[in-house]
Amino acid sequence: MSKRQLAMVMDLNKCIGCQTCTVACKTQWTNRNGREYMYWNNVETYPGTGYPKNWMELGGGFDAAGDLQPGVIPNLEADYGVPWDYNYESLMGGASFRPNVEPTWGPNWDEDQGAGAFPQDNYFFYLPRICNHCTNPGCLSACPRDAIFKREEDGVVLVDLDRCQGYRYCIAGCPYKKIYFNPKISKSEKCILCFPRIEQGLPPACAQQCVGRIRFVGFLDDEDSQVYKLVHKYKVALGLRSDYGTQPNVYYIPPTESPAKFDAEGKIIEGSTRLPIEELEKLFGPAVHDSIATLKAEMKKRKETGVSELLDLLIAYQHSDMFRLDNNYYQQVAKENKRNPLAPVDTRYVAGKFTKAGGHI
Amino acid sequence: MKKILTSILSLGLACSAALAADAPVNALKVTDSLDGITADSALWSKAKFSEVTLYPQTALKMNDKKANDMNAADKAKKAEVAALYDGKNIALMVKWADGTKNIQGSYSSDTYSDGFAVQFAGTTKKAEPLPYIGMGSEGRPVIVHLQKATASVYEPNGNKDVETQVNRNQTNLFGQELKDYDAKVASLAKTDYERVFTAQGFRSLTEIKDGSAKSSASMTYGTNGWSGTLSRPLNDDYIKSNGTVPVAIAVWDGSKNGRDGLKNLSSWVAVNLEGMKPDAKRLGEITEVSKGDAAKGKEALATNGCNGCHQITAEDPASVMAPSLKNVGGYSTVAYLRESILKPSAVVVPGYNRNAHSNTPWYTIEKGKRISAMTDYSFLDKKTVEDIVAYLKTLKAEVE
Repeated sequence: MSKRQLAMVMDLNKCIGCQTCTVACKTQWTNRNGREYMYWNNVETYPGTGYPKNWMELGGGFDAAGDLQPGVIPNLEADYGVPWDYNYESLMGGASFRPNVEPTWGPNWDEDQGAGAFPQDNYFFYLPRICNHCTNPGCLSACPRDAIFKREEDGVVLVDLDRCQGYRYCIAGCPYKKIYFNPKISKSEKCILCFPRIEQGLPPACAQQCVGRIRFVGFLDDEDSQVYKLVHKYKVALGLRSDYGTQPNVYYIPPTESPAKFDAEGKIIEGSTRLPIEELEKLFGPAVHDSIATLKAEMKKRKETGVSELLDLLIAYQHSDMFRLDNNYYQQVAKENKRNPLAPVDTRYVAGKFTKAGGHI
Repeated sequence: MKKILTSILSLGLACSAALAADAPVNALKVTDSLDGITADSALWSKAKFSEVTLYPQTALKMNDKKANDMNAADKAKKAEVAALYDGKNIALMVKWADGTKNIQGSYSSDTYSDGFAVQFAGTTKKAEPLPYIGMGSEGRPVIVHLQKATASVYEPNGNKDVETQVNRNQTNLFGQELKDYDAKVASLAKTDYERVFTAQGFRSLTEIKDGSAKSSASMTYGTNGWSGTLSRPLNDDYIKSNGTVPVAIAVWDGSKNGRDGLKNLSSWVAVNLEGMKPDAKRLGEITEVSKGDAAKGKEALATNGCNGCHQITAEDPASVMAPSLKNVGGYSTVAYLRESILKPSAVVVPGYNRNAHSNTPWYTIEKGKRISAMTDYSFLDKKTVEDIVAYLKTLKAEVE
């Protein structure tokens, strides 16, 4: 466990599935150098196949006894999808508009399909996912090279690309399949929680750009942080599939309200909800009941009295109210370690541990 | 009577041959330089090939479900090894059968390359027994030369070539300029996936990137198999050689998702440099044959409850508490097996991350040293230890 832990809370009631976070992440980190197929941040439709395809059934994570479970490494073409582009340049020569590879699968292939029968009881919601920067990461445990580490300063889970040898056991070990293989450099890569931004006091790109203002970022031990209040004080934000045993540090406010179902005549079935609670229980565990009860109670309280700290937090009147990052903290870490305050605080890329001459080009 | 005696004798010989280590490889002295030698070199025509058995690595089971299923029934392989030396460098050629030529896909997430590696024992301050076969052990380093059959790899080279790290579609280049850009990116690729590592136990493998370890390796695919060559200095910062150079060979099969521990490996093999005095101690350690009684050893293993933590044969349930012993006889020396019984903490196979099985910690760290959870069996009498060692030497997969 790291000294401090950064966490993100995503309010699923506010996610509109616009993919601005996905694009923010992609343009910042994954549009080049063999990462083209990767989505460190993706927004999937739930229920759905997700990204990569059926990731919840691909193993990894820990069982109740704390033993790492074997997993499957997804196939780029069949499970992630090969990114395709179009022949824009040839259009001028009269060619017909075609993709450069035959698209067979990709993220959001089943966007907005959801489950149930329209219009009676169909339903879905959006589930944005990044690396959970777990307290007990499956990827880290699976690595036979000690190439994955969790930073002491903030619990960000990173791959030391100098040590990584491209074995891909980390992908099998991560139950969220949020670590990817970069075939161009033959190493694994993953969401870095935008640590170079975080260290300068800026939120991760996905959170900064989120138009729905669903993402809160801060330190879990900071009692004034939004994430502390949502996770520990009100206990409304819950980890995704915490039954995998990795102790994820991205938390979700579960979808609280859903419309009623219609009967065969198209009339509203009073008291019904489209979103089956079992589905939410599967994703967020039994605590989802208390979370939803608290959220509903606070909504009621807000309606009646006009006061609710929790709802004020969730509304996020000011974008800046969603993040409590600590540039001074990182500056302090850099100072204590006599490092350049502008350089990333981690020096693990600098020297090979067992190289006699100690150097690293 | 004579006939019976002969057959008894030959039976005895066959038995001891099964228990013995691979015979030493004789390195032929050549006058031509071995720098950058490949499999095509005429120098190999004089070299004598010796058989080396490569056993599937089963001490540890990795967490790739598909690969584990593919490799579940793995058998040992035979490789042919020859060696040359020119006084400055040593060169080895390894030939092994592989029905498919596998090269990791350039845009694929789940394909793997064929490859081979040669491990050398690193120098230590004072004389030590040979390092543990799997990546060495604390205080007893190994040097591993790895050659994989890969397509182009664009590994970060530390030169901060950021201007070439942009997707070609997002550059503002067109026509010839874009072609030039593509050519520049292509020129940054490494097409030869050759690496030199140093390690002191599983998980500590670290690439030597400072140029202090010179080597030249190549792989050529022929009819139904690979020929791999490696040449490296006999003496450098990492190894000091005398008349006997201990080496160990590993090969990976990409068609079975082989990489890392999913490999076949030999035990330590002695390479005797022709015309030089063999190092009797090293040679003895590598070629020692156990004199114990394997049947009694099997009983002793049961009496002492070894199967409580170790998987002994393929039929026993797998255990995460201790390394599986099902191929231990194939890739271990007698000296290593004896040492493991008498001084379990002398070499602790660090194995996978302890966090992967947090409730079965097979070692603790005291004052920076790994202390094995295994009972110290130094109380056993000498004969029993030898019997156990003899039995452990029989634990190995059949040759395919």
